[in-house]
Amino acid sequence: MVKFLKNIISTQLQLFFLSAFLLFIFRLLLGSPDSLILMILFDFLIAVSIFFLLLALIKFKNNRASSSLSLVMNVGILSAIMFFIITFSDFLMPYLFDNVNLRIKDPGLVYNIVSLLYLLVFIGFVSYFLLTLRYLFYLNQGKNVKIYFNTMLFFFVLAALSNNFFQDKSVSFLGNTFFIVAVLLIIFNSIRISWIAFLSKKEKIYLLILSLVISILFIVNISSSSGDNVHNQVIDAFSPSLSQFNTIVMVYGSIYFFMLFFTTLFHLPTAEAYDRKAQEVTSLQYFSKLITEVLDFNDLAETVTDIAMKLSGSSAAWIIWKEDGKLISLANKNIGYVESDKLSQHITERIEFEKLNVTKSLSIKEEINEVDQGNRFSIISVSPIKTRGVVQGILVAAKTAGQIFTKDDLSAIETFSDYASVAIENSRLLEESIEKERLEKELDVAREIQRKILPSKIPDYPDLQIASVFIPAFEVGGDYYDFFEISKTKLGFVIADVSGKGISAAFIMAEVKGIFESLSKTIERPKEILCKANDILRSALDSKTFVSAAYGYFDTSEKKLYFARAGHCPLFLLRDKDSKQIKPSGLGLGLSDNSYFDQTLEEYSVELNNNDTIVLYTDGVTEAKNERMEDFGDKQFLDILQSSNNVTAEELSNKIIKEITIFSSNHAQYDDITLVIFKWQQKF
Amino acid sequence: MAEFSTSIKEKGEVSVINLKGYLDAHTAPTLENNFTQLIENSKYKIVVNFEDLAYISSAGLGVFMAYIESIRENKGDIKLTNMSDKVFNIFDLLGFPLLYEIYKKEEEALKKFNES
Repeated sequence: MVKFLKNIISTQLQLFFLSAFLLFIFRLLLGSPDSLILMILFDFLIAVSIFFLLLALIKFKNNRASSSLSLVMNVGILSAIMFFIITFSDFLMPYLFDNVNLRIKDPGLVYNIVSLLYLLVFIGFVSYFLLTLRYLFYLNQGKNVKIYFNTMLFFFVLAALSNNFFQDKSVSFLGNTFFIVAVLLIIFNSIRISWIAFLSKKEKIYLLILSLVISILFIVNISSSSGDNVHNQVIDAFSPSLSQFNTIVMVYGSIYFFMLFFTTLFHLPTAEAYDRKAQEVTSLQYFSKLITEVLDFNDLAETVTDIAMKLSGSSAAWIIWKEDGKLISLANKNIGYVESDKLSQHITERIEFEKLNVTKSLSIKEEINEVDQGNRFSIISVSPIKTRGVVQGILVAAKTAGQIFTKDDLSAIETFSDYASVAIENSRLLEESIEKERLEKELDVAREIQRKILPSKIPDYPDLQIASVFIPAFEVGGDYYDFFEISKTKLGFVIADVSGKGISAAFIMAEVKGIFESLSKTIERPKEILCKANDILRSALDSKTFVSAAYGYFDTSEKKLYFARAGHCPLFLLRDKDSKQIKPSGLGLGLSDNSYFDQTLEEYSVELNNNDTIVLYTDGVTEAKNERMEDFGDKQFLDILQSSNNVTAEELSNKIIKEITIFSSNHAQYDDITLVIFKWQQKF
Repeated sequence: MAEFSTSIKEKGEVSVINLKGYLDAHTAPTLENNFTQLIENSKYKIVVNFEDLAYISSAGLGVFMAYIESIRENKGDIKLTNMSDKVFNIFDLLGFPLLYEIYKKEEEALKKFNES
């Protein structure tokens, strides 16, 4: 609070109060000035007071932004108050002090205080007027505004002082001369008033009335303060110079506002056109900026209708937008959705949506928009919004009865709808590229998850060659395989394919890995493990998602392979020159309740012969496609297996991958490819 | 590549969905909408004809799993017919023949519905 006061009571204001106080003391001690020196002293003090008050006001004014219109309004209010004070002082002063004339000659303490306060109020008024006029003058922003204004002010002071000091007939022409020069300067300074050009038509009309009233008030105030009323007597008795200064400021005010009135009057006929042009320029500037900024389609649509409405001086605007084959109202401005839908329907009945090429205006029949609104819109303009040459929407602007769309209006809207099309296209492209980038990032994450889930090294078991190949698809196919070193003689393995793709498949893969890793530590039998896994996944997965898996283990001491298949691709067993597809029955994991899953799942076991080769794979292998969209297929796969006798597991996997690569060299890999090969080669 | 379309024909009490093209993760929503709509209209006797289906991915298979429960709860069923060998193989691998009635001809499925 203290700080706030400190801010308001600036040094200048303190100095003002000091000089006012001095004025009061002198007045109290010395009475009415009768010697020249005292008069000079008084006038000096008054001038100093006005000067400091002016400075304080300027500082105060600079700290807060206010429009020139509100300043003019303030001047109007103050001049009206001044008018009332002057008028009522005639009644009020005699009421307080029986005879003012007597009092002036013999002032008491009370009269001194009252008259001084009266004077200070007046100084306040005059200072404020001067400040406002100075502010308005400075709005012209010419090269030498400061010099012009200060010169004028200088002559004000000269004229005011000479009125007091050169009353002698022989030199009285000096006072008149200064006064005339001051008035000439006032006229010169009031001729060019440029700031009103930037006002809207509404504001100009407002200013027109205001300036007329103010200039009349000033003229009235001049005449009443130069007359023989009490107000004038009080001021004159205090300081004739101030009285004269006041008159000059009043003259300035009346001339300035009179000029303002006429300037505004002359600007009025072009005001509307000026408004429109200014609006167009700002709208287009705003919009071209917008094209690069707005990312969100809905925000953009709102802005488009908003600007279209302002641009054409319409009362309402909206966009008819085609979405999923339906036409909807979008970004409505000043119109309800029910009404806009109705009008939209009417519009699309009259013009063909897809074939709208140029901006048109349509008059609306009364019966279209009766309802509760009455005959609201009588004419509308329609402009196409196109993306990639196809009409995607119609920008509609509507005007009420009696208004029309001029040629200018239509061409402005047309230009604007072209801009809008570009902007909307931009925002759509941006959205697409953001979405694409997001998907790519997501896939990066998914691939990273997959890479970490798959085994980093192949376990080392005597008598068992192991080879594995994994080729990820761009979209992450959800393939998973793993080895579990159960004991020195038992090696578990799993191969699985999660339905779906991308990051969701990658997360499920991680879950599947966790399930098999923990189950393989406690349970041995493949069937049991798969049943448990089904139980867990049945509740964990949504009804659309499932996992195909095959689990098995080698017992190297028993020389046996145990294996069960839950909806996964079959296992191939190559023995001598024969290849055998092993496909025990079993449902995919997560497809069915456990009771049924258990019933249908078969377990398979085989005694291993020397050089037996076991091949596990995912459908990415057999469904690899060539440029004619043909599958690599079971047959070709089987052919390779059968023709590959006497090769190591590693060699076989290389051969298969090579064949697939050649086959699908002209087609992008769509699904993950996983291949796991075991070869039983007993060392004696 | 993702060309896929469906058409629905009413044959008595039974609704027959004909599939055409490639059914995968991207095109699955079309079929999902068909099922949702049929269920909304309380049509629980559904035959899906695979005659013109060229390819089905695991995500495509998932669509059938998503609706079978609520359909069977309402004493309806989804019966699958006219599968090419390739498509049947995919269903077969996952054990779908254990869960669904799969027929060679649409008429057989319709007959089965009408019997019950």
